[in-house]
Amino acid sequence: MTAATPAPLLEVRDLHVEFRTRDGIAKAVNGVNYRVAEGETLAVLGESGSGKSVTAQAVMGILDMPPGRITGGEIVFQGRDLLQLREDERQKVRGREMAMIFQDALSALNPVLSVGEQLGEMFVVHRGMSRKDAKNKAVELMDRVRIPAARERVGQFPHQFSGGMRQRIMIAMALALEPSLIIADEPTTALDVTVQAQVMDLLAELRRELDMGLILITHDLGVVADVADKIAVMYAGRIVESAPVHDIYKAPAHPYTKGLLESIPRLDQKGQELYAIKGLPPNLVRIPPGCAFHPRCPLARDVCRTDVPPLYDVPDGRGSACHFWQEALHG
Amino acid sequence: MPEPPYEPDATIPAVGAGGATDLAMEEGETPEQRPGGGPRGTGTAEPGRARSLWSDAWRDLRRNPVFIISGLVIAFLVVISLWPSLIASGNPLHCDLGKAQEGSQPGHPFGFDGQGCDVYTRTVYGARTSVTVGVCATLGVALFGSVLGGLAGFFGGAWDALLSRITDVFFGIPVVLGGLVFLSVITSTTVWPVIGFIVLLGWPQIARIARGSVITAKQNDYVQAARALGASNARMLLRHVTPNAVAPVIVVATIALGTYISLEATLSYLGVGLKPPTVSWGIDLSAASPYVRNAPHMLLWPAGALAITVLAFIMLGDAVRDALDPKLR
Amino acid sequence: MGRYVIRRLLQIIPVFFGATLLIFLMVNVMGDPIAGLCGDRKCDPATAARLRAEFGLDKPVWQQYLTYMGNVFTGDFGTAFNGQKVTELMATAFPVTIRLTLVAIAFEIVIGISLGVVTGLRRGRPVDTGVLLVTLVVISVPTFVTGLLLQLLLGVKWGVIRPSVSSAATVDELLVPGLVLASVSLAYVTRLTRTSVAENSRADYVRTAVAKGLPRRRVISRHLLRNSLIPVVTFIGTDVGALMGGAIVTERIFNIHGVGYQLFQGILRQSSQTVVGFVTVLVLVFLLANLLVDLLYAVLDPRIRYA
Repeated sequence: MTAATPAPLLEVRDLHVEFRTRDGIAKAVNGVNYRVAEGETLAVLGESGSGKSVTAQAVMGILDMPPGRITGGEIVFQGRDLLQLREDERQKVRGREMAMIFQDALSALNPVLSVGEQLGEMFVVHRGMSRKDAKNKAVELMDRVRIPAARERVGQFPHQFSGGMRQRIMIAMALALEPSLIIADEPTTALDVTVQAQVMDLLAELRRELDMGLILITHDLGVVADVADKIAVMYAGRIVESAPVHDIYKAPAHPYTKGLLESIPRLDQKGQELYAIKGLPPNLVRIPPGCAFHPRCPLARDVCRTDVPPLYDVPDGRGSACHFWQEALHG
Repeated sequence: MPEPPYEPDATIPAVGAGGATDLAMEEGETPEQRPGGGPRGTGTAEPGRARSLWSDAWRDLRRNPVFIISGLVIAFLVVISLWPSLIASGNPLHCDLGKAQEGSQPGHPFGFDGQGCDVYTRTVYGARTSVTVGVCATLGVALFGSVLGGLAGFFGGAWDALLSRITDVFFGIPVVLGGLVFLSVITSTTVWPVIGFIVLLGWPQIARIARGSVITAKQNDYVQAARALGASNARMLLRHVTPNAVAPVIVVATIALGTYISLEATLSYLGVGLKPPTVSWGIDLSAASPYVRNAPHMLLWPAGALAITVLAFIMLGDAVRDALDPKLR
Repeated sequence: MGRYVIRRLLQIIPVFFGATLLIFLMVNVMGDPIAGLCGDRKCDPATAARLRAEFGLDKPVWQQYLTYMGNVFTGDFGTAFNGQKVTELMATAFPVTIRLTLVAIAFEIVIGISLGVVTGLRRGRPVDTGVLLVTLVVISVPTFVTGLLLQLLLGVKWGVIRPSVSSAATVDELLVPGLVLASVSLAYVTRLTRTSVAENSRADYVRTAVAKGLPRRRVISRHLLRNSLIPVVTFIGTDVGALMGGAIVTERIFNIHGVGYQLFQGILRQSSQTVVGFVTVLVLVFLLANLLVDLLYAVLDPRIRYA
């Protein structure tokens, strides 16, 4: 469990992001708040289109603008609002203080540069090292993420590595300058099931060693349980539930979270039909009024169709954006 | 503390929220009906508006000014090719040497050429030749190329290998050079040798494209499924493969039409393409070039007409490609 | 890599023989190879028969082709209409055309790539739309029209250049003809670079490079351009052969005594030896340029190199 309450490393406050699309303005992020303390792991959960990746890209400062646009909020990192920084100041934060691990390492790594060059580049650019020293550093990093025969493979290209090894290279690249925050955007989704656990364990272990904060973005509840301290569940660009990790498994306080948990296949319930949340995720150009989840919610009543639920305080430092959270919690 | 419902060693793939959506979607909608709309998964759902590639493309084209303008220019060209007398009352072969190289005058807005022929009339009549060469050559190229390339792509094996080598041979001959050699031995004054030459050297381009898109289409899951269900070759070609391979061929053929017109003019300029008494912009340009100093109007009018024609076809092809392949935008 | 090179080399052999055979057949079977040998008159039957026997034209075509190719490989391209050796004509003509082609390639690289990069990074802005429109117009106007117009404007009206190139054909004389020769390819290079840059600028690895905190300039030069220029470089490489073949038109307009001029003379005087010889060499250059491009591609893209 989390120690005391360490100083916040990152605090996202009331963030709003929109995208211009052919069909109109898509409201991808609508007032997200979350904090990550130093050395803490926050898991952000949600379907595709829930805004979890967009939020992360906004934090990282790699949002495609246009068509994206940050329309409000603050991203306070180490006491500074990143949104107020100039681009060149922002650039110094990236890679050095915060780094990102992408989902598909094959497309996220440059196909025509050797992995050694791509890893070493961090040291050349940020530390002003010579290319030779940088290469040695790259080998060190590859050793660290347990890539066998690192010295021989440092000159190879991304497509010559297996999926798991490529993801290790991505992790190595993110860890290169020992940043204080790592954002991992579905780091294991593109991998074989058997490799997923190894990569996740490696990431968790290195995070512990370097005592970094970690934002783990995923749609896979299973991955989260072992690694995260807290969970934030997102739906239609908002956080609908936040809680320490094990509380959420014990008793979710939002019908959406509940639906997610019930849709995981369980070994002890063989033969039963798998639960599915009915309906479709909302169209972000036309988010339903009131609670965005109401068209799919088993608990929905009239108030849900008109009033947007605030994030209600739930005992033990939890939060739920459901008018009927008590019912969800105890039902 | 209860054990979290996660078993890393279990071989059952973890079905999280994504899985839940997929399952939920089976309730009446197919994934294709959800246009990937916004950036990175702003999953927009618009039930009941299944759009096909063609109707989608047509909707885009109707709003595209480039398409409208080039379409109008081409329509105009086709009309004056069919009925040149609509806008030119004279006879392009009726010339008066006494008026050679004279400039613009009433009734003869573009002046006279080196033989004393009316440049305006010849420019109008030249459209017919260019459009005929362009359209016939393109039809020939498209027909030969797509049939040969399509069959090679579909059946593969030895046929495919043979065709690839043959296309390589044709690609090995630079076009203008080939034209110079091939056409210099021909004495016919009709447009057919030029058309035949363009088809001869042009079909491999279309064949490659048709082959490529047939191979891609063939690998689609539903085509594989049809094969597994025992569909005959002919049926698969007609129903499943052809419709997917047609779009790229149309796009390339439209652009090629423009370049063929340009090629005909180039060959005629070099003196090996069309020959008098055929009325062609290329011939007129060739005839005008020695007099550029004194009578530039002889050059400028046919050159302008030629450029606008080629431009119209290339722009049309560009617009059609944009509409059919949104990826390239 | 070694096996790849050998496979590609083996592949161009049948293509070379196929293409040259086609040309040979066109000139020697459809045309009349001895027509040019008796001056302006038609040969009388006795002389014609003697000439046919002398040149081996009474033998089957395939035998003629083999004999010719055999000669070619020993460096004997035969004699031209005026008794000069075809190889001598080549020795004077090729340097001129090669110079012209190099000037054209330089224009493609310098102007084409710069415009493409600038527009690719500013998609949808006025610069982009403007350049795009100009390239469309340049592609649509046939090269010989562009050439004649430039000659008219620069040479005749404004007197900036001499309308025709001297027999020395120095590089500065070839600047405008080179630009004309390059014009259509230049427009293609611009468009290709633009599309490639625009496409790659949305690629995941470019986003990674930004996330690594690299300066914008480094993201563009080292990550974006390194990838975007691969198709452009291959296009330009292939174009070397095409430009040399297409130089006929430009050489005719500016009266440059290069390969195109000699070829043209050969056709006018019906000297089949000249025509077949020059075309054979051009086809070879064309094929070798394509081969080089394939190898270059493998050097630039490790995914091919290690496939």
